[in-house]
Amino acid sequence: MSSDASAAPAPPEHYETFVRLFVHHEGRLRGFLRTLVRDWDDVDEVMQETSLVAWRKFSQFDPDTNFMAWAAAIARFEALKHLRKQSRDRLVFNDDILDLLAEESLEEVDSLERHRSALGKCLEKLDSRQKELLQLAYQPGVKFHEVAAQAGKSAQAFYKTIQRMRAALLQCAEKQMQAEAAT
Amino acid sequence: MATSENSNSNNGTGGGCNPGKLPEASRLIGEWLSGSITPADFDLLQTMLRDCSEVRRMLREEVNLEQVLRENASVTADLKAWSPEGLPDHDGEGEAAVMPFPGQDAKSRSKKYWISWAAAASLAVLLSAGTFLWGGRHALSKDLVQEETNRGCAILTHVVNAEWLDDDNSRRTGDTVNSGMLKLACGFAQVEFFSGATLLMEGDAELEIVSPWEAICHSGKVRVRVPPPARGFLLHAPGMKLVDLGTEFGVQVNPEDLSSEVHVFEGEVEAHPNNQELISLKEGMGLYKEGNKVAPLPGVRPDDFMGLERLDAITATRAKARYDAWATWKKDMCGDERLVVYFPFERQGKWQRMIGNGCNPCNPDRNGGVVGARWTQGRWPMKDALEFKRPGDRVRLRIDGEYEALTLTCWVKVDGLDRKFNALLLTDGYDAGEPHWQITQDGKMMFSIAYPDDEHPEVKRNQVHYSPVVFNRSNIGRWHQLAVTYDNCSGEAIQFVDGKEVSREVSPLYQPGRKIVYGACELGNWGLPLQDHQFPVRNLNGCMDEFAIYQIALAGDELKKIYEASKPE
Repeated sequence: MSSDASAAPAPPEHYETFVRLFVHHEGRLRGFLRTLVRDWDDVDEVMQETSLVAWRKFSQFDPDTNFMAWAAAIARFEALKHLRKQSRDRLVFNDDILDLLAEESLEEVDSLERHRSALGKCLEKLDSRQKELLQLAYQPGVKFHEVAAQAGKSAQAFYKTIQRMRAALLQCAEKQMQAEAAT
Repeated sequence: MATSENSNSNNGTGGGCNPGKLPEASRLIGEWLSGSITPADFDLLQTMLRDCSEVRRMLREEVNLEQVLRENASVTADLKAWSPEGLPDHDGEGEAAVMPFPGQDAKSRSKKYWISWAAAASLAVLLSAGTFLWGGRHALSKDLVQEETNRGCAILTHVVNAEWLDDDNSRRTGDTVNSGMLKLACGFAQVEFFSGATLLMEGDAELEIVSPWEAICHSGKVRVRVPPPARGFLLHAPGMKLVDLGTEFGVQVNPEDLSSEVHVFEGEVEAHPNNQELISLKEGMGLYKEGNKVAPLPGVRPDDFMGLERLDAITATRAKARYDAWATWKKDMCGDERLVVYFPFERQGKWQRMIGNGCNPCNPDRNGGVVGARWTQGRWPMKDALEFKRPGDRVRLRIDGEYEALTLTCWVKVDGLDRKFNALLLTDGYDAGEPHWQITQDGKMMFSIAYPDDEHPEVKRNQVHYSPVVFNRSNIGRWHQLAVTYDNCSGEAIQFVDGKEVSREVSPLYQPGRKIVYGACELGNWGLPLQDHQFPVRNLNGCMDEFAIYQIALAGDELKKIYEASKPE
């Protein structure tokens, strides 16, 4: 095994634990980051850095504490570093808003997770045509406006259709969460 | 930057938080997410976010939704890419239209695979951290290892004069290599690992690839170059493990007595002989190992190991020879009277947008017009090709006349099968007698001719022919010669890849004597999709080098000769 003097990584047997935790929280972390950076490409970049830093520091993580909070702190720091590296452009919120969003996101980790699982259930209820449309619009590596242009119909109409479906999904998720809270 | 705001910062729901404004906030959030928000609206959104916790909650929920949608789409897309056989063989031109994704099916699978997919993705990220991770690799679940293997470990970036002894004797430049054995009888092969390490093997040699970070030299000579991101790359020789700390070194293994030599040309290598202490080898140092004996080498012999630069020079010389042979062959070939059109794809000016019909004598009416597609390197460094990437890229042409038969041939390097159908040659629209030649997303060649039934236009009567799957993950990205022949007398459509027949059939809908026509058509795209067609976007993602249309169906041995005369290596 090579000696790596610069960092004191967690022993390799912790690696599996780390991957499991990281994968488990990945979706939440990505959502959290999206509020802080400009677009999903930035999220990808910052996630990369975050995963590396998190693994390097994993020996410092106390397993009795909340992994999400710990990783989000790293993610937030990495996001700020990322923003500082780029020239801040107009789609990045001001620092005071970033602070508010980050704090509240962490406070609401659990409810956002319930929201995600409710959204998942609502997605299942769509018919195959609707699913296909969403698949087209959100496929990886593709910008929304490009898909709209490709879809043949007017970009405006495509956009509206997708917005309507989004609104319906959010509504459905809200009902779902209420129903679950009631039981 | 934050300027002084007209209202005080307020975390509560009062202040600027007017419930009537929520629909507007929702619209602004949507535009922000899609990147289409105007600067003025963005300022407005910031104000709303600052003033109103309800708007911040909306933003979080919208982001949550978008994240869920993206996860879902990427899982489905990933599944599509991984299991081409798993989806129905729907062509959109042949039988009745069905939905391409049986939602339920994809869904149930997507759930099952999601965890391992995501884990593999983060694993890939983590692996790029470099050192110390291989120890944990074995501890990972089977799923993870499986994914990693499927994704390949390395790419063959140079293959010169090579003869392979293992099962896959057809390995060529551009192939992706999975974990497993590479047995090179003679010649040279340059292997670029996904970790960034480059390894040059010199036949006769046996190399076993374990992962992007690890290989075993069983016999022969290899030279390894490891750039900083690949530090920690591991090479095993019999009874010895070598950890590369960012360097260049050579290893020679004698299969007779399993003795091995390590030569460090640059940087540092850690040698771990079995049961013995680590030995650090610096630049200019070497080690000889036989059985349990380990001794320093008196000096290293870099010239004994083929270097990357020398291999480049050999490759360039060979490419030039191949190119010259092709150019000589082409001089005769373009005089073939059976040619309808022939594009050698040789650029004259730097920004040439017309491609000449290379037939001799030339019919200039059949010159092509390049739209969007860019010039790039073809089969050899001195040969041009056109690259098709974006949905608008295409070559337009017009071919007059009626024909009894055809042969279509081209050299193409497919970089990805992005569309349900990926165009090689498509006529505008799809009218009676018009041929369509394309590659399906699952890697089959597809040749079809439209013969609509005028009395019953709703019934599709097109002759459609598929080859077996010829493109897969490991062979895209390299040059292939594709060909199809058809004649209206026998009705037989025969498809070829690299001079070899891959399919032959007569369509059940074939009727003798019907004419073939082209009219306005396009290479690499579909100029005029049928109205309301389910799959109108068909641009090719790849490069095209030569393209020819003959007015007869060439015989297999003649196509084989054409392949031999024009193949890249």
